[in-house]
Formats: sequence, C-alpha cells, structure tokens
Amino acid sequence: MPAELRFHTVHASESPQESKQIEQLLTESDLGWDSRVETFVVCRKGAALVACAGIDRNVVKCVAISPAFRGTSLSLQLGGELLKVAMERGHFHLFLYTKPDNTVFFRGWGFYPLVEVRDKVALMENSPIAIRRYCSDLRALRKHGGKIGCIVMNANPFTLGHRYLADVAAESCDWLHVFIVREEASMFSYAERYELASQGLSHIKNITVHHGSEYIVSRATFPSYFLKGKCTVDQCFTAIDLLLFREHIAPALEITYRYVGTEPACPVTSRYNKDMKHWLETADSRSPSIEVVVVPRITLRGSPISASEVRRLLQNKSLQEIKEMVPETTMCQLINCFGDQRRETEMTDGDDH
Amino acid sequence: MRIITEAVAGSLESSDLLVKVSPSRDKTLEIYVTSDVIEQFGTQIRHVVDDTLKRLAVTDGLIVIEDKGALDYAIRARVQTAVLRGAACKELNWEQLS
Amino acid sequence: MKLRRSMLFLPGSKAAMLSTAFVYKPDCVMFDLEDAVSLREKDSARLMVFHILRTDAYKGIETVVRINPLNTPYGLKDLEAAIRAGADAVRLPKTDCANDIHELDAEVARIEMECGCPIGRTKLLAAIESASGVINAVSIATASKRMIGIALAGFDYVIDMQSQRGDGAKPELFYARCAVLHAARAAGIDAFDVVYSDINDDAGFLKEVELIRHLGFNGKSLIHPRQIELLHNAYAPTEKEVSYSRRVIEAAAKAEKEGVGVIALDGKMIDAPIVSQAQRVLQRAEASGIRR
Repeated sequence: MPAELRFHTVHASESPQESKQIEQLLTESDLGWDSRVETFVVCRKGAALVACAGIDRNVVKCVAISPAFRGTSLSLQLGGELLKVAMERGHFHLFLYTKPDNTVFFRGWGFYPLVEVRDKVALMENSPIAIRRYCSDLRALRKHGGKIGCIVMNANPFTLGHRYLADVAAESCDWLHVFIVREEASMFSYAERYELASQGLSHIKNITVHHGSEYIVSRATFPSYFLKGKCTVDQCFTAIDLLLFREHIAPALEITYRYVGTEPACPVTSRYNKDMKHWLETADSRSPSIEVVVVPRITLRGSPISASEVRRLLQNKSLQEIKEMVPETTMCQLINCFGDQRRETEMTDGDDH
Repeated sequence: MRIITEAVAGSLESSDLLVKVSPSRDKTLEIYVTSDVIEQFGTQIRHVVDDTLKRLAVTDGLIVIEDKGALDYAIRARVQTAVLRGAACKELNWEQLS
Repeated sequence: MKLRRSMLFLPGSKAAMLSTAFVYKPDCVMFDLEDAVSLREKDSARLMVFHILRTDAYKGIETVVRINPLNTPYGLKDLEAAIRAGADAVRLPKTDCANDIHELDAEVARIEMECGCPIGRTKLLAAIESASGVINAVSIATASKRMIGIALAGFDYVIDMQSQRGDGAKPELFYARCAVLHAARAAGIDAFDVVYSDINDDAGFLKEVELIRHLGFNGKSLIHPRQIELLHNAYAPTEKEVSYSRRVIEAAAKAEKEGVGVIALDGKMIDAPIVSQAQRVLQRAEASGIRR
C-alpha cells in the first residue's frame, strides 16, 4: 500500500537539486545551510519536500519541518528515520545542535539537554543518563586537594612542549588531570597519542592521564576544531565545549584550574585560549568559574616547540631535528614508525594542544 | 541471554517506546525508564520490563527506555526485540517470549 | 455464518494503530507483517503482533495475520508467532498455485501439533496477486479444509498483468474479480476485493463498494478505519430487503412447522438458496442496521 509521506536519504554532494530544496526549507525555518553536513534524511509528500534532518557522523543538525506539518506525527517519524540511518552507520550515541527554544521539541526525539549558550545554541544528546554516568565514572577518580588542575591536549605527537606545560601545572597543583583528545583525526592515532603522552608524563607523581571522550574536544562538542584548513575566527564556536567542561567535567573532578600553552602563531588556537578565559572564568553559568592559566611555551632556539612543527619535519623526513623537540619515548616511536610513507590522514592545522 | 552489542527497537511515536540495550561494563543490570507518565505508570512499566528480561534470562546489561505511552504488550514486544538484536539471537524460543 | 464485510489492514509495526484499532469494530482485522513492514523491522513487528494477539484487545473481532511468503527468511517465524498467539487465520500473500496452500497447510498442522493447540483451529486465506494466481484460483480455493477466503490484491496483480491502474470500474480487474468470485463460490468460501487507497475519496470508494457488492464479494480489504462504517452501511440491506427477508424466514418457519415440503410466499415457490440469502440479509441488518 503506497504511503503518503515518504522518507529517503540524500547525499548532499551527489544531489545538487535536492540540496537546493533542502537549503530552501532550512532558510524558511531561519536556519543556515551547513556545508559540512553530507547526509540528510528528508520527507516528501508527493513531490514536495516537507521536512529534513541533517546528520554528520553522530551529530544531528539542520532539522527543519514545514510549518504545515509541525506538531503532527511527521516530526516523530522523521526522528525515527534519522535514528535508523544513524544506527545503520554504527552511531548509537547521538548529539544534536539546535536553538535553545527548540530543546523542548527534541525531547520528543529522545534528546536531553547537555549545555546551552543562552539565546544562541544548545547541545543535546540522545540519552537521559550518558553524561551522568560519565561524570559518575570521573568522580570515582577524584583526588583530594585544594588546587586541582586540568590540561586537555591532542598531543599529536607528544612533545617537550607538552611535557613542560604539564610539569608547570603539576608543580603548582595538588593534582593534575590530563585528557587526551579522543577523536581519530590526527596524523597519530588516538592509541599512539595516548601511549606517548602516558610515557612522556610518567615521571609526574600527582597526575592522572585520562582517556578522552565525546564530551571533551570532540566532533560533537567542538566541530570547528576538526575542520580542514583554518576556519575563520568568527566561525570557531568554542562555547559549547568549554561550558560542557565547566558545568559537567570540572565539577566531577573538582577541577578549579585549567592550564593551556600560549599560541603566538595560530589565530584559531589563540582565539580558543581567549574564549577559554571568557567561558570558563567570566561568563554567566550555574557552575563555579575555573581559572585559566596561560603558560608561555618553552622554546628551542627562539621558536616555541610545537607538535605541528614536529609533524612538518616528519613529513620532510628530518628525524634528526626532531630529537631536540620530543622526549626519548616519543623519539623511539617515531623512529620505529617512520620508515615508509605515512598514510595521509585528515590533519588539522592549529591543533597544537 | 547475553547482550553483546548495542541495539535499539521501537520508535518515538505515540503509544510506542524506544528501547536501547548495550552490554554492561561490570556485569550489572541497569534499567532506566523515562516517560511522560512516569508518575502514574512508572511502576507498571518497570514491572513489565523486569518480567520480560527475567524470562529471557538477561542478568546484565544497560537498558534505557524512552516510553511514549505504550501498553504492556508493546513494552514486552520492544524489549524482547531489542534484547534479541543485542544478543544477536536469530532463534526464537517461544517459551521465553510468551 | 461469519460476517466478513470489512477486513482492516494494520501495519504490524505501528503501536498506535495496534493499540486502538479495535474501537472501530471491523469484522476482521489483518495484522500485516508483509508489505507494510520494512525488512529491518520484520522481527520487531512480528513480536508486536504476537503480543497484541495474546491480549483480548481484539476479542469479538476475527484476527488474521498476513505472514511473509514461506520462501523468505521471515515467513515461517511469522507463522509460528501467529499460531502460537492464537490468531484465527493466516493470510498467505502471492498465492500462485494450490501447492502454495498445501505447503502452508502442512506447516500450520506441524506448528499446531508442536504447541498443543487444537489441530485445525487456524484457518487460511489466500491472496491472489498474479495472473497465475487468478488462473489457479479454483484449485487454490479448494486446496485445504482450512480455507475460509480468497482475496484479490490489486497492486501486484496489475503489475504482473502489465496493465495499468484505472479509476471507476477498473476494467483491468474485471476478469480477476470474476475469477476470484467464482472460485470462492465453487469452494464455498468468502471472496474479498482489493483495497481502495484514496482514503479521502468517499464517493469513489462507495461506488466501488456498490459494484463489488452486486458482483457478490463478501467483503473488502480496508486501509483506513473511516472506510469501515462507509462499507458496513453500503452492505446494510434496505428497509424493503429486510422486510422481504423477514417474510421469507417466517414462511420457511411456517412450512417447517406444518411439515410442508414446499415454502410459498406471494404465490411463488421459495427454495433453499433464497432462504439462505434472506438469512444473510437479516444478519447484515443485525450487524449494522438498515442502510442510511
């Protein structure tokens, strides 16, 4: 029996005509077209496009429903179809960006609020308990002390710069929590980065090196971070990631200080540092503020040691020059791995954390 | 029955429920139910879920349920489907399902 | 004599419909595990139907389950679910020949035995959806003692015939309708007509109902609850038909009482078929009153 409403999946790059229609529908709902979203679940009534929902791996955005169909069962069917598409691709834990006013609507899709930037944007996840369980796991790893610090690093790869930052932080704190960015979007795999960081930090007694998660500098919380090439400073939207840290992660571990290295060269990273001060220290939030400590990078012959420089040297096979920039543990790994051409992965500029 | 993979059954539509199961990290059985009618029917929903899981001999896993006003029969059906999918079980044991 | 005017299709995957459709009081309800259910939801819908059947939500309504064909990975499991849950009947889609029914019959008997239900409890319906099915309609209709009905399914049939869906009297279904009807009558079972998909076109629906009622169809497959009352009313007898039928029944009773072999009414001889027809008329009148 033919159904009236039909759902199907659209791949934006392959269907320019449908993409145009989607863009129009989004505009009518006061939403912008996000060129990063490749996949859309759309609903058609006959030939007309009446609803769409975009999904970028495990992140849902660009959801629009034609006014005539809002409040009908179409909304829930759309949510259901989207969920099926996501799950078919192996994504069960989903995040969703929307305007704060719409969070009520998405409760009906099984999404629960995580953080909100008032009047601007809200991030939700499709579980009533995921963040709670995550924080409860973190709470079990609490250490006592008046001054608990934190560093979030990509460590791609772990350099003497990272070590220096950690040394400074650990020295001035009762305990230091270090998180390694979990996403696989770097030259070095997460496993390698975590391993090198653990080894490189093993001399510090008051430290925990945590596994990263979807809640800390991930494609879900900080999509701009993973863009190829530099995104313009305006587009970097760091608030969600930082508020999530301030309102959920930090309280779980009783973190009161966040340490970060200076960034003289990259405007994106420098902006992130500035935003960090704003969102963690001064912005309005139900959670206590966290002090941001900016530590000047250590230098080698006048230039700050950076992971991006190490990678550049690696690509040019200048292993000798790297020796002075990384600890021995990292050097061993580089020598082991870098006989052949490294497979080019999605690299990001400005990921010097 | 052992849940070995993440699985979902049901829908978010009215009178239905969405059941998500995933393997337990620590051999415990954790069940979370959210519902607009949790006050009136929470106990009943929980009772049906517990009974369904018991009959399938599910002793550990994480079960998250989003209820949209489903009746008992739908709760049984969707929980069973999610568990069977999560256990990658193709054979149907009608004694356990009845 | 079971009235089977309306057979309401319910997708096995839709909780809202399964939970509430009984309020519309169709004569039969058909829980669909086949075309209305996507492949990835087959397992889920099967258990939904299994469990709703085990409640008494549909008490008083004949329950039919449309299983997937037996040569799919789903068919046999659907059958197990339907029988174990106590469905009144099972509808086999795409029935092309008598052997399809023989095969089904054998599996049904096996399952009934395995689960300890009374053998013969589960009835069968065959859906004719192809040219072969139409040609074999008689042998299909008589293929098993469990057969209670034979239905024409227009969508797939028209594709198989390489014809085109039309409006109005639908000439492309003409032969198939007649064949299915004749097969049903020869086998002494019910005949069901195709679904009418335009749920907003009452006039068109009623026109089609009028046609098939005249042809002799016992009932029609429906896809929306609002079609039920329309159909029941169209099948309801007129005042005139009811009063005539009452008089026929009275005359028959009188003849029986008097031990007279021949029934007479208004100077004419009334034989058995007319009495049966009168009974059917009164049954329909009882079910939904006089036609409005």
